[in-house]
Amino acid sequence: MFKQHHVALGALLLSQLMMPAHAAALMGFEDSAMLMTEIGRYNQEWMLNYSPALGHAIGVEQMRMSGKGEQATTISGINYTGLIKRWNLPSAQANVWFNGSVGEARGQYDGFAYTPSLQFDMESTRLYFLAKARMIRAPNMNYDTAAVQAGFSFYETGFNQTQPWFVIEAKTMRNNDPGLQITPALRLINKNYFLEFGVTNPWQGEGFAPRLNAMFVF
Amino acid sequence: MKKLLVTLMLSAMAPAAFAVTTIKAEVNGMVCAFCAKGIEKKLNALPQKQAAFVDLKSRVVALQLKDGQDVSNEAFSKVIQDAGYSVGKLERVNQTVEAIQAEVAKAEKAGSK
Repeated sequence: MFKQHHVALGALLLSQLMMPAHAAALMGFEDSAMLMTEIGRYNQEWMLNYSPALGHAIGVEQMRMSGKGEQATTISGINYTGLIKRWNLPSAQANVWFNGSVGEARGQYDGFAYTPSLQFDMESTRLYFLAKARMIRAPNMNYDTAAVQAGFSFYETGFNQTQPWFVIEAKTMRNNDPGLQITPALRLINKNYFLEFGVTNPWQGEGFAPRLNAMFVF
Repeated sequence: MKKLLVTLMLSAMAPAAFAVTTIKAEVNGMVCAFCAKGIEKKLNALPQKQAAFVDLKSRVVALQLKDGQDVSNEAFSKVIQDAGYSVGKLERVNQTVEAIQAEVAKAEKAGSK
């Protein structure tokens, strides 16, 4: 019980820590649709949302994960993304986001599922940082997640060019195996797409797993 | 006398032929092309648009207007704000988007040396 409150407390602390920060980055603009996907060995997720107004998006999401020796659980739900705060600086942007789904879990665990999260990111044309805490709950299920990412771009690019980044992520998922997932990745950002190819726990023979993240905006 | 007439005619025609109006702004927070696509999309949707230009390095967004058409500074700023950014400096210049693009490219080239 004490442990279960850690992620929720972490999310709260994260939101408090973020308030004094001054900077910027996430996606979505008024009247746009976005498709996001993560395909990895340990979790898979996709989300399609539509933003009717700046700072708000609604959509559908499906995520699939499993614990050690468990059957996979799939959560299908309705998702909301909200921009809590944005800082636009001359050469950087920072954001605090709320994201969450409510829906149904099926598989190892069944029933009503909810996945509220808080995310902070800040980005310049050369540096990037993100911290995220997410509750992933259903009856008897707890896959709460915390992640941090940091990266740098190899060089600056123009608006019509593709910019390569190196990004490393450390992610923990409760009751998931491996509990700590370190993923170094190559990220390519273009005005039409965001593609990231990484390898989770590359030093761990059994845990080694490629991971693909992609985002498209229409 | 003939020369003088031709010169007078040309000078009378010139302002009409070269009356280019471009709204040029420095935009805060515009750091990634994927995120800034909204600006391009919204500018392209404006019926008054002759040409548009977005540059991440210089943070410049420029909108060249069609002859005889106008977009107020407030309406232009709203386009930027609706895309999620804020406007720093905003000015109206008599340059084409192409000229601004060349100027920015030249400045960036000089800066990288």
